[in-house]
Amino acid sequence: MTGSKESFTLNFKAPEFSEELRSEGAEFLQDLPVPNRKTERWKYSPIAKLLNGSLKTFGSEGLVWPEEILPDPVPFLNSYRIVFRNGTYVSSLSDFPVAEGVVCSPLSEVDSVEFKNTYHRKEWVGAMNATYHQDGLFLTVDKNVILDRPIVVHHLTDGSDTASFLRHFISLGEGAGAEVVVWCSATDASSGMCNSLLEGHIASNAYLVIDKVCNEGGEIFKFSHEHLIQERDSRLKINTFTVKGHWVRNELEILAVGAGTDSVFNGTYMPTGLEHVDNHTTMDHAHPNGTSSELYRGIVYGKSTAVFNGKVFVRKDAQKVNAFQQNSNIVADQGATINAKPELEIYADDVKCSHGCTVGQFDKEALFYLKSRGIGTDEAKALLVKAYVGDVISSVDRDEVRNEIVRLYSERHGWE
Amino acid sequence: MEPTEEDKLLNEVTGKSYEFGFTTDIDSDTIAPGLNEDVIREISAKKSEPEWLLEWRLNAFKVWSEMEEPEWAHLEYPKPDLQAISYYSAPKKKKEIASLDEVDPELIKTMEKLGISLEEQKRLSGVAVDFVMDSVSVATSFKDKLAELGIIFCSLSEAVQEHPELVKNYIGTVVPQRDNYYAALNSAVFTDGSFCYIPKGVRCPMELSTYFRINEAGTGQFERTLLVADEGSYVSYLEGCTAPQRDENQLHAAVVEIVSLDDAEVKYSTVQNWYPGDEEGQGGVYNFVTKRGICHKRSKISWTQVETGSAVTWKYPSCILKGDDSIGEFFSVAVTNNMQQADTGTKMIHLGKRTRSTIISKGISAGKSQNSYRGLVKIHPGATNARNFSVCDSLLMSDTCGAHTFPYIEASNPTAQIEHEATTSKIGEDQIFYCQQRGIDEEEAIGLIVKGYAKDVLNKLPMEFAVEAQKLLTISLEGSVG
Amino acid sequence: MLKIKNLHAKAGETEILRGLNLEVGPGEVHAIMGPNGSGKSTLASVLSGREAYEVTDGFVDFDGVDLLDMDASDRAREGLFLAFQYPVEIPGVSNMNFMKAAVNGNRAHAGLDPIKGTDFLQKVKECASLVELDGRLRDRSVNEGFSGGEKKRNEIFQMAMLQPKLAVLDETDSGLDIDALRVVSQGVNAMRSSDRSFIVITHYQRLLDYIVPDFVHVLSGGKIVKTGGKELALELETKGYDWI
Repeated sequence: MTGSKESFTLNFKAPEFSEELRSEGAEFLQDLPVPNRKTERWKYSPIAKLLNGSLKTFGSEGLVWPEEILPDPVPFLNSYRIVFRNGTYVSSLSDFPVAEGVVCSPLSEVDSVEFKNTYHRKEWVGAMNATYHQDGLFLTVDKNVILDRPIVVHHLTDGSDTASFLRHFISLGEGAGAEVVVWCSATDASSGMCNSLLEGHIASNAYLVIDKVCNEGGEIFKFSHEHLIQERDSRLKINTFTVKGHWVRNELEILAVGAGTDSVFNGTYMPTGLEHVDNHTTMDHAHPNGTSSELYRGIVYGKSTAVFNGKVFVRKDAQKVNAFQQNSNIVADQGATINAKPELEIYADDVKCSHGCTVGQFDKEALFYLKSRGIGTDEAKALLVKAYVGDVISSVDRDEVRNEIVRLYSERHGWE
Repeated sequence: MEPTEEDKLLNEVTGKSYEFGFTTDIDSDTIAPGLNEDVIREISAKKSEPEWLLEWRLNAFKVWSEMEEPEWAHLEYPKPDLQAISYYSAPKKKKEIASLDEVDPELIKTMEKLGISLEEQKRLSGVAVDFVMDSVSVATSFKDKLAELGIIFCSLSEAVQEHPELVKNYIGTVVPQRDNYYAALNSAVFTDGSFCYIPKGVRCPMELSTYFRINEAGTGQFERTLLVADEGSYVSYLEGCTAPQRDENQLHAAVVEIVSLDDAEVKYSTVQNWYPGDEEGQGGVYNFVTKRGICHKRSKISWTQVETGSAVTWKYPSCILKGDDSIGEFFSVAVTNNMQQADTGTKMIHLGKRTRSTIISKGISAGKSQNSYRGLVKIHPGATNARNFSVCDSLLMSDTCGAHTFPYIEASNPTAQIEHEATTSKIGEDQIFYCQQRGIDEEEAIGLIVKGYAKDVLNKLPMEFAVEAQKLLTISLEGSVG
Repeated sequence: MLKIKNLHAKAGETEILRGLNLEVGPGEVHAIMGPNGSGKSTLASVLSGREAYEVTDGFVDFDGVDLLDMDASDRAREGLFLAFQYPVEIPGVSNMNFMKAAVNGNRAHAGLDPIKGTDFLQKVKECASLVELDGRLRDRSVNEGFSGGEKKRNEIFQMAMLQPKLAVLDETDSGLDIDALRVVSQGVNAMRSSDRSFIVITHYQRLLDYIVPDFVHVLSGGKIVKTGGKELALELETKGYDWI
């Protein structure tokens, strides 16, 4: 039978590591309810349909890497690489950094990892990840060590009714630095669920840059939870680009546990057809003098739905915090919907916080101007769209990554 | 200039402690505490209601019994014991009142203490007052004058008897029984409230006004107001609330329904300064109110509120913009101090074409209070060319309070245009210093700046109310500096 | 009128005033000049009681009272007026309401009843004409949307309304074109009298062509390093501050 919470996980197999976390996860999995429309955090992203599937976890055996997907998703980028497929590590396609002060390997090969994240105690989705996580990136960078090249973490889903569980762990020592590209692909024939969690610790004066790209064909329910903890004077930049995805939920939580942190997080989404993209972000300023800047832009096409929920907390005593949040949306077609909920919760008084949220159209004047110069309507719109999301994409540091994201969006939306 | 009634009222309020905390000593006819079907039958019988209304109440009770108290708001409070409340309390002397002379002298005294002596009101400000005291309307003035224009302004109980077809036609059409927990409760047990009908094409020549008081100890108040503006009419309605001081928390779960038919315009203004509890958060009123209006073609509903009172406020005056070209507005100033909690805002539901809405919300938090704005702007697929503009600002007066913004934006039409912006800031030290340098002391400087900050909203209030509201702002924030 | 002795003050950890001495007699106009960062504006802030500055040593006697002992509004009520270099905007508070509150605050301090509406309006009319302040500006919010020149005129208008014993003009000439400078100076000159003193803080000599000082002081490193007559300002103009 299908549809029940208990039967849903029957065919999930857990590998044998992180036993403690798994057993705790299993307990919560039993107790935590499946979120429904009445659950405030999930009201715009119901997952009832997911339960109708009969999913199973895959091993690595017996599958051939599909030709249409490059193992290296960002061509020309001089990078390290760790590749996973349907949740399992693919050794033959991976290339790790070997350097003094850097430990980088699949999670399954690490003796014990001290996960601090407690998402599994709060959400059913998280409890599944804790219980069944198959593998992931493990990266630690020692004090004052800067990783010389970005690490590309590539996950491919290519089975039908697949359940994949990834759990990544990153820890940067004081003054360390690293760049990570988290890339998810899926073949058009694939279906199921991809459930991933990333936990990152950024020690004082360290910096972490993450570019996250979802480019999945098929019919995958994607849950992606990033939890980043910033210590004093550390810097974080994380971009979340949803290029393609049947049903995508990006959750980003940034916790500033020291003073003077700087967090920049941006994102774009342009769902089409019946796609659903949900971005949930939380910026938690618990200490003084922090700054944060958030910019998410999206266009919803066809009969698709997009959700934006951005929370900014400024806790008591987190004085002199400067937090900025902007979310802009364009509803392009009749039948498309945007649900946005930008939130501020402020408990300190000497702060500067603002958020803005808009829903609008393409600038008619600009459109007319372009057309009056002989540019066709579609082309003119494409130009404007490109400029609209281009502002956000330009915050990607690496040319190769930025170009590839633009190329994928262009291909999908017929830009020049 | 002669001091107006509002000035007198304000002089009364200017004492630091809550001056309205007196109890009127009148024999009350009170039903024993508790809630069940029999209680509802008893309420209905006491009010000699028609059968359809009893059935309506019983149905609401059934709906309510199956509901749970909501917990999604950003509020923390002990849940009121709804079985410990008495659901009916009416002054015993219920004979017909032809003139003020016949009103219980104790009641007159109460009104005078509140600064709303009907005689004075009549003479000075031309405001008709429907004075609701513990659920039953005791005196209504200007009735004759309004009657000439065909305007009906009376208690809801009276309307049930005199104009049953109107009440039956509109009650529960804007706020359905199952809308929410407290609306369902109100539908089952509402005791009285105001009813207002403005006929086609009539411009109501005066501000209609109601004062509510919660008087009887341990009596919950469940007013229900129904306001119908027929095609092309206009009315401005004022609602003011004060409550006597009590130790235990008192529940207030009112429902206000507004029907604005084609081309009509309704302005609904509220100044709420119910007892907020003391500095430690003891006592105070729980204010869980459902207010909603429906706009037909080219009509307009404008909500203006100044909220300074109540221990806990849960209130979202809303507009359903059903008709094409209709307009909804919400202007709000919410002040919280000490241990007060407020979760307030609006819902603008755009259904019709070219519907427009404006939201201006100014929150001011002081002491250890928590002040939240919660609003929904929903553009339905058919609402072509709908527009919304929202500004939600928060001003923080201490480092122990909280200011929160929870806007929900749901747009399903490609022509929708929504702009929402929110800022949170501290009261400007350089502004205070500038005032001080001109010889204005700090407390007064803060009063000036806060009034300036809230001006966009205060300006929307009718004159008489604006004066009162400004003073209330200052009073509410007294002692909150530093 | 004003005696400043050995005044030391710091902002945060930085000591800005380092033993400043100055005496201003009734009816005198003193110009304080100096290079950027010499402490000119700090002096204005410390005298008027801005909280961001901490006085670590020294004494200021203002017409027989201990100035440093009072909070900002009491200093104002004792007759100290500061014309701000950057007047702050106060949205929603009309210039008129603001001035009424200020006038009545000063009157209450002097034991007087609040001013009558008609008297107030008459006074506003007189003072506004002094600096050619547009009627519209009077009804707008305090300084909101004012041009630089309008803000400065508004400062002098307020000074005229409040009739202080001592006015400190902090870089009043900054951002003014020549016409505005003339109008503002005329306003100030009209208020000169045998019992009202001025401290004019400026970087440039230009203003002193219009408001002619009795004394010119050069402030440098938090102290007055040179004092002279009005000709000192001209000398500074030609030779620059390095000359000191």
